[in-house]
Amino acid sequence: MTATKKPKPGTKDTKSYSTLWWILGGIVGLGLIVALAFSIASEEPVDESLGYGDPTVTGDPLPVYAAGQEDVSVGLTAPTVEGADWEGNPVTIEANGTPKIIAFLAHWCPHCQADVPVIQQWVNDGNLPDDVELISVATATDRLRPNWPPQDWLEEEGWTAPVIMDDQIGTVAGNYGMSGTPFYVVLDGQNTNLGRVSGEIGTEGVEALVALAQSSEQ
Amino acid sequence: MSVETILVFNNLFAILTLIAAAGSIGLLVYRAVKGPEAVALLGDKAIWLAFTVALVATIGSLLYSDAFHYVPCRLCWFQRIAMYPLTIVLLVGAIRREAVVKFYALPIALIGLAVSIYHNFVQFFPSLEGGSCDPAVPCSARSIEMFGFMDLPFMAGIGFIVIAVLLAFYTKASE
Repeated sequence: MTATKKPKPGTKDTKSYSTLWWILGGIVGLGLIVALAFSIASEEPVDESLGYGDPTVTGDPLPVYAAGQEDVSVGLTAPTVEGADWEGNPVTIEANGTPKIIAFLAHWCPHCQADVPVIQQWVNDGNLPDDVELISVATATDRLRPNWPPQDWLEEEGWTAPVIMDDQIGTVAGNYGMSGTPFYVVLDGQNTNLGRVSGEIGTEGVEALVALAQSSEQ
Repeated sequence: MSVETILVFNNLFAILTLIAAAGSIGLLVYRAVKGPEAVALLGDKAIWLAFTVALVATIGSLLYSDAFHYVPCRLCWFQRIAMYPLTIVLLVGAIRREAVVKFYALPIALIGLAVSIYHNFVQFFPSLEGGSCDPAVPCSARSIEMFGFMDLPFMAGIGFIVIAVLLAFYTKASE
C-alpha cells in the first residue's frame, strides 16, 4: 500500500497548484464577465436609423469653414435644403425672403449641449425677432456616442426651432462647410451667406447673429 | 463591425474596469489594514497581473481604433504612448523576475495616469480644449458613455492606477 504524498508548503508542487488555480479562476471569471457583457448589450435597443433623415440638397456647396480666417464664402448663395424633422414634418432652408440662422448641432458635443438650453431660454424669453428664422440641423449623429438619439435630447431641452435630421454622411453639414460643432450660419432672405461661426456662442453670440441677419434687411 | 458587437465590447471593458478599480481599492485597503506584510498577498503574481492589465488595455485600444474605427484624439495618443511600452516592459520584468522593473514601469504609468486625469477633466470642462468639437476627433467629447460616466480615458486611467498599485505590491514582495 502506497501513501499519497502531500506537497509541502512552499515547494514547487504547491506553487504549480497555486498558479493553476489562478489561471482557472481567471478563465472562469473572464467567462462570466463576457456573458454579463453580452447580457447587458442585448438589453439595449438598437435602431441605427433613429436620428437620421434623408434631406435633399441643391446648389453649390459652401467651402469648409476655417476658424480664425476670413470667411471667403460670405456673399455666396448657400444650398437649398429640403428635409424633415424626426416625425417627418417637412423643414426647408430656402430663399423665402426671411433671414435665417442655421444651427448645426451634434447630440454628443458638450458645446452643443451647453448652447442649446441657453439659446432656448433666450427664445423662451421672447428675444427671437419675428423677422428672423431659427432653424437647426441635427448632424454628426452616431448611435454609439452618448446622448443618442438627438431627438430625445432636443425634446428634453424643449427645443422649439424646426430641426432637419441630417443623413449618415452629414450631407447638409458638408454642403454648408461645417468644420466643428456647434456651427452657425447666417443667411439673408435670398439664402446668401452673411457669416458663419463655429463653437459655443451663448446669448451674446446669438444676439450678434440676429443683428447680422437683420442687417441684410436694411 | 456591427453596433451590437461594439456594444458588447463596451460593456466588457466597462465591467473589467469596474472590477480592476474595485480590486485596486481592495488591495490598498488590505495594505492599510494589514500593514507592510500585506504585500506578500500576491507575491510574484503582481507583476503578471500588471502585465495582463497593460496587455488588455493595449488590445482594447487597438480594437477601438483599428476594428471599431474610433480615431484617437491627441490626448488619447499620449495615453497610448504610455500604455503600449508598459506591456513590453512588464512582460520582460515578469519573465526575468526583476524588482528593478518598477523604476522603468512606474514613471510611465504615472505619466499616463496624469494624462488620463487631464483628459477626464477636459471632458467635464470642455472649454479647456477650445469652444467647438471636431466631429472626427474631439478630445472634449466622450466617445462612449458606459454606466452614465465611463469613457475610454476613464478606463485608461483606472488601468494606470491598477498597474501602479500592483507594481508597488510587487516591489515590496521582491525585497
